[in-house]
Amino acid sequence: MQDLIVLFHCIFGNSHLFMTIEFDHIIPTPLKERLLQKRSDVWHSPLTLQQGEFIKIKAPSGTGKTTLVHILYKLRYDYEGVIRFNNKAATDLTEDELAELRQQKISIVFQDLRLFPNLTVRENIELKRVLQSPLYETDMIDEMAALLGVTHILEQKTVLCSYGEQQRVAIIRALMQPFEWLIMDEPFSHLDIVNTKKAAALIEEECKKRKAGFMVTDLDNDDNFSYTRQLIL
Amino acid sequence: MKGLNLLLKKLIRTGAGRKRFFMAFVGLSVAMILILAAVQIQTNYNELLHSKSNQDSIANFLVLNKILNDQNIGATALTDAEINDLKKQPFVETVGLLTPSRFKASIQSASDRFPFFTDIAFESVPGDFIDVTSKDWKWDEASGFVPIIAPNMFLDFYNFQFSFSQNLPQLTQQVVKMIVFKVNVYGTNGITTFNGRVVGFSDRISSLLVPQEFMDWGNTHFSKNQDAKPSRVIIRTKDPGNPALVQYLKQNNLSTDADKTRFSRYRQVVDIVVKISWVTGIIMLIFALLIFTLFIQLTIASCKEEIILLVTLGASPNQLRKFLMRQFFPVNILIMLIALLAIGALQLIIHQKLAAQNISVNMLLSYNTILTAAGVLIVIWLVNRFSIRKYIHTHH
Repeated sequence: MQDLIVLFHCIFGNSHLFMTIEFDHIIPTPLKERLLQKRSDVWHSPLTLQQGEFIKIKAPSGTGKTTLVHILYKLRYDYEGVIRFNNKAATDLTEDELAELRQQKISIVFQDLRLFPNLTVRENIELKRVLQSPLYETDMIDEMAALLGVTHILEQKTVLCSYGEQQRVAIIRALMQPFEWLIMDEPFSHLDIVNTKKAAALIEEECKKRKAGFMVTDLDNDDNFSYTRQLIL
Repeated sequence: MKGLNLLLKKLIRTGAGRKRFFMAFVGLSVAMILILAAVQIQTNYNELLHSKSNQDSIANFLVLNKILNDQNIGATALTDAEINDLKKQPFVETVGLLTPSRFKASIQSASDRFPFFTDIAFESVPGDFIDVTSKDWKWDEASGFVPIIAPNMFLDFYNFQFSFSQNLPQLTQQVVKMIVFKVNVYGTNGITTFNGRVVGFSDRISSLLVPQEFMDWGNTHFSKNQDAKPSRVIIRTKDPGNPALVQYLKQNNLSTDADKTRFSRYRQVVDIVVKISWVTGIIMLIFALLIFTLFIQLTIASCKEEIILLVTLGASPNQLRKFLMRQFFPVNILIMLIALLAIGALQLIIHQKLAAQNISVNMLLSYNTILTAAGVLIVIWLVNRFSIRKYIHTHH
């Protein structure tokens, strides 16, 4: 897969360097004692996410799944070790560079979704479409909403939607922007198997369109995606 | 961008605290009207002060002397210290010493056809202070001719009073300038006589003036009292109506032509009005800015969650600051325009009212007023920017 992408770049002369994410012995300070006693592919290990990889992080409850996502997305700073984006330490990012990173390089589906409750579903998705110069036209919102079966709630206030609906809205929102990495924290926890399949198919398609990679966390094994790597947290 | 702004407007509601906002709006408007009015009044007054009617040469030259009272009879001389102090005053441009003649002198007619004789005293001033230009205005020891500048009021006094009572002919300036008479100077060794003639008339100094060289020569050779101090000085000032000048004269027991300093009284009133307007305006401006700052703080605090989530989703704090600035700042431009319109209307009314009394002030706002408005706008911009930066920053 990676070789294919490299080949693609060579053939079409795309010199754009996709972002690699490097974890250099990361360990969250509050969980340090506990986590050091377990074997982990991520915590306190060297780990590099190569461009275009589909990575599954399997993590039982309480192993710091959300902590990892938040550290990666620069929402937490209480950790030891270094995270590097394309060899640049995350701590060195300026305010504007961080915003640029979140607008262009890393998209996210939070476990707690983080939608604006008082905006309509459409407005929530639209926000992410227009926060940077738009990647897609507006009709893409309707298209994806139709695919995931949330067309009927588009004009509804988000606060009134069920958690499962909101989860699909959060996924569509994340797919509205350009990205090289999609980070998902238990994105299908409230979806049935049918909807999970639909959502996973859409995510995979969108990632491939962008030649982007993703990192998804979940509690158990699954075959939602054709993962390139599965790691234990 | 438009779509984003629409969404941001939904998320960051500026509706909270509308009453406060309205108060700040009114407060700032009144403050601006007061401040701009102060500037405009000051400008109008300056315009009146320096208009042509008040710019004549007489008004800018003041002859000063000590007020004569029982205590200082015979001791009205101005000391060097007093003169130097006068020179240091900001309202004094130059100081000239009026040198009185300390010798006895008289003038008499050169011919018997038109006989006259009178004892006389002269004064001299440095050339800069003389408003008469005459090629004859010079003297040296070899010269037997002494040019004299007479005050206009002397001729008026002669023409309109003395000539009637004495049954003498009226004389024009030109005629007087043609009359040559004898100038007698009395020294210890007898009388020295010169030919004299009036070469010009002055409104500036009310005494008979002779060239400084003649005066110095006369005082050296004929005076019994060598080191006499001047009792009068002439000063040149830009603004004889300056209250500081009047105040200074009063403090130092000096007097001058009160008519020339009459503007100072109006000026003091204007100054007080302007000062009150300034102080009130600035205090109100500070309070209004404070309320606006609180309003910004309140808005940001009430949307704290939304702002944090926006930044989490990738909105740059700069993007948000710019958005907030666009929400809060334009109203200030509106306020400034309202204030300028109000003062502009007032100025037009003042212009028309004063025009009816033949006093002309500009019907339009002064540049100063507009510049002040722009200046305050910049201050408001900075304050807004500062508070937005501060509060958007503390959250993250």
